[in-house]
Amino acid sequence: MFYIEIYTKKGFKNSHGEHVLSDILGIGVKDITKVEYSPLYVIDGDITSAEAETIASELLSDKIIETYICRSEKQSKEEDGKIGSPFSVIEVWYRKGVTDTVSESVVKAVKDLGILKEIKVKTGHKYYLYGKVSQIVLSDVATKLLANTLVQEYIAQ
Amino acid sequence: MKNTTGCKIIEILNLSDEQLVELSRKNVLSLSLEEMKAVQKYFEKFKRNPTDIEIETIAQTWSEHCKHKTLTGIIEYTEEKEDGKKTERTYNNLLKETVFKATVELNKEWCLSVFKDNAGVIEFDSENGVAFKVETHNHPSALEPYGGSATGIGGVIRDILGVGLGAKPLANTDVFCFGNPNTESSKVPEGMHHPKRIAKGVVSGVRDYGNRMGIPTVNGMVCFDDGYMANPLVYCGTMGIIPKDKIEKKVNSGDLILVVGGRTGRDGIHGATFSSVQLDQESDVSAVQIGNPIIEKKVLDTMIKARDLNLYRAVTDCGAGGLSSAVGELGEETGAVVYLDKVPLKYDGLCPWEIWISEAQERMVFAVLPENKEKIVEVFEKENVEAVFIGEFTADKKLTLMYGGNVVASMNMEFLHNGVPKPTRPAVYKIKEEKIQKSVEMDSSEISRALKASLSDLNVCSKEWIVRQYDHEVQGQTVIKPLQGNNVEISGPGDASVIFPYTVVKGTKKGIVLSNGLNPQYGKINTYKMAASAIEEALRNAVAVGASIEKMSVLDNFCWGNPDNPEILGSLVRAANACYDMSKAFGVPFISGKDSLHNEYSIGGKRYSIPPALLISAMGVIENIANTVTMPLKNDGDKIFFLGTTRNELGGSVLAKIKGIKDGIAPDVYPEESRDIMKKIYQAVNESLVEACHDCSEGGLAVAISEMAFAAGKGVKVNIDAVKIAGAKSQRTDLTAAEILFSESNGRFVVEVKPENEDRFKEILKGAVFAEVGCVKDDKNVVFESEKNKIEIREDVGVLLNSWRSTINW
Repeated sequence: MFYIEIYTKKGFKNSHGEHVLSDILGIGVKDITKVEYSPLYVIDGDITSAEAETIASELLSDKIIETYICRSEKQSKEEDGKIGSPFSVIEVWYRKGVTDTVSESVVKAVKDLGILKEIKVKTGHKYYLYGKVSQIVLSDVATKLLANTLVQEYIAQ
Repeated sequence: MKNTTGCKIIEILNLSDEQLVELSRKNVLSLSLEEMKAVQKYFEKFKRNPTDIEIETIAQTWSEHCKHKTLTGIIEYTEEKEDGKKTERTYNNLLKETVFKATVELNKEWCLSVFKDNAGVIEFDSENGVAFKVETHNHPSALEPYGGSATGIGGVIRDILGVGLGAKPLANTDVFCFGNPNTESSKVPEGMHHPKRIAKGVVSGVRDYGNRMGIPTVNGMVCFDDGYMANPLVYCGTMGIIPKDKIEKKVNSGDLILVVGGRTGRDGIHGATFSSVQLDQESDVSAVQIGNPIIEKKVLDTMIKARDLNLYRAVTDCGAGGLSSAVGELGEETGAVVYLDKVPLKYDGLCPWEIWISEAQERMVFAVLPENKEKIVEVFEKENVEAVFIGEFTADKKLTLMYGGNVVASMNMEFLHNGVPKPTRPAVYKIKEEKIQKSVEMDSSEISRALKASLSDLNVCSKEWIVRQYDHEVQGQTVIKPLQGNNVEISGPGDASVIFPYTVVKGTKKGIVLSNGLNPQYGKINTYKMAASAIEEALRNAVAVGASIEKMSVLDNFCWGNPDNPEILGSLVRAANACYDMSKAFGVPFISGKDSLHNEYSIGGKRYSIPPALLISAMGVIENIANTVTMPLKNDGDKIFFLGTTRNELGGSVLAKIKGIKDGIAPDVYPEESRDIMKKIYQAVNESLVEACHDCSEGGLAVAISEMAFAAGKGVKVNIDAVKIAGAKSQRTDLTAAEILFSESNGRFVVEVKPENEDRFKEILKGAVFAEVGCVKDDKNVVFESEKNKIEIREDVGVLLNSWRSTINW
């Protein structure tokens, strides 16, 4: 199983993160000063590291403005190079059984890349929220803006 | 009914009335006691209990969503006047006796298919028809705004694919009603999404689905009112073109049942029955569908190929009720046998009833001649579209469902489609006399402030933030666009859109006009006037771009509260009567429609109903797309004419809201007067006498003139005293300057004419109510003056544009 996270390169605008920050301010949360957004992909199947790297670089990321990490296990917060930074993280995933159309497209596109092995894909969203906020505020941001708990679940830390 | 791979027998024969009601509630069947008893009686005849799949099939087929039981049921209507006098009338089928009756009586030969298929079809030219359908997707959008609205637009596109043997979609429309997006978070009821979150999610859903399908979203509107806080309204429409010889479909026994497109999962289980349930914090997760436009786009392209090769005899979409409704509909006259284990699934573990009623998206069902079996699959497989035969249409007039070699359902089609008991509902409407407001006296600076506040009002302001997210140019056929002006930075709101289908109909000069009318504020005063105004507004918008009233058709979409409340149902009867009256008076037939009832939500056990809303969508054929006009002013020195009568009608107006004006008469419709003006405008446009034309609606004359000016970046000077006025029925005729500028009377247009065309224009308008009220200026100021009232309002067009544009900029 490979866990791929796509980052916006330094110096480029993280537009979605900026929209989210504006929405956060809109619900009255003032202590968050910056938001960075990263799309997440979990790829489950009998593929090699090299194939996972190909999928991450050729399919899931834009080489000019984005970079990625691709690990064979889900990366912990301490490992992601941002330790020490004053940020919190909210991850959002679809609940089991909910149709994930992006993952369906990824499965097809991986085949189009020439990787013909059977894979399963799960997609998610990761938000880095800079600023000091309580767990209650984080949950508030998650439920009021980032995750519809009817079809999605979230982890806020 | 637990999630097992088997089938369960549901004990019904020995249940008491209370137990029948509980069974319906517990399993989200949304069937009344009377209906449950009809089911019980049916199975008593066969001395057996139904299976879970049988009872679910009945619930889907008999759902309000599929059968429209309220509007086609018996209504005992009482109208009560203030003096206590009552008149009573019984409707055996409200739709047939109002909306549909008007169409039958008008008997337009160019109506090719009305109220019998997935969409209404009118004639485009000698070879083609044009189909239009508007659907609602309110409850799913309240729960999951993105998925709910995306599947709303996806569903109505499939309606167009499923009309006749399939029409090619050319344009989408969208109309939304949301709560106030500026509501404080703490005031949003527990468990409900904030109205702004709903609005953003809904817009994103329509954007992503429509854009990815390659269909332009060209027309729409947004209405904000606190009454839609927890129950938004999401109307999605699609228009498409279809060869005349593909409008009829016929299923024969022996035809094979082919399911094409998406796979079946648990998405949208109970969607059809769920639409009859009020929303609360514990609404059902599985009622939410998620759409995949990429699959639907492939289905669209391939099925049009298959259609043109005459490879199938009938098609319909899998919408509410899933395969149950689609196969049931196609096989109503013949019968059908379906092998449920052949249906392609997204994942294992679905039990037979889930496969049968799932509302998984992007699926179409076809009736295929056996000899075309291989050919049709080849067409779909070439483009990687899954196509699987799941059964056949029979001659036994029975629905038979097989799973694992066993019969899991066997029911007569007659019972399934015609066995639902007709409910009888009481309806009451208490007519209240509308009171005119106290005279609205405002000085020049107050009027200036009111003008800017009107332009910034949520229901008037620019919806550019939404419109620009939609691709309204894809397919390259959009002639009259939603935003109009000198450039991207400066634009005003178009009245209607015009599509020029030259890529599909080679050599044509004709166009298709789409417009809409909706104003729930008037419905708070008088639902008859609301409905009449919506019809007039939709027609007015179309005429303003150059359409002929002689070849216009309309669609109705009623969104109302719980019809079990006699007063709510009474207000709906009034609106339906207005539909009949206006359709006849304007000579404009209804060709299709839909209702969404039970739009209410519960907070802490207290029920809240939405403000009634009737969306009227208009479609017409324009003979020559060269003869169309836009709304921005064009040339310095041109004359401004104001057509129609301004009455003291501020009830439900934007000014009444801004100034907190109590009372006020809601705008009435005077069809004879306004139909005559509409015909005369058409003649003037076709003689190339009209430079610009704009309808006068929310915000009145002041807003309409300002929009025309700032869209062009030009000035305009208007003499308020020249405007033709009259009293609303038995009311005073001495309107103040503010009342003239902000009255929302129907039937009015602002028209720009070159000085050299003035005489001919006046000649055409002879006999109509009109006045020359001003001229276009080069000084970039909008000026309204009244010597009589000692008023002069002077505002820079840039300031007015900014007022209009700055409200929604999320």
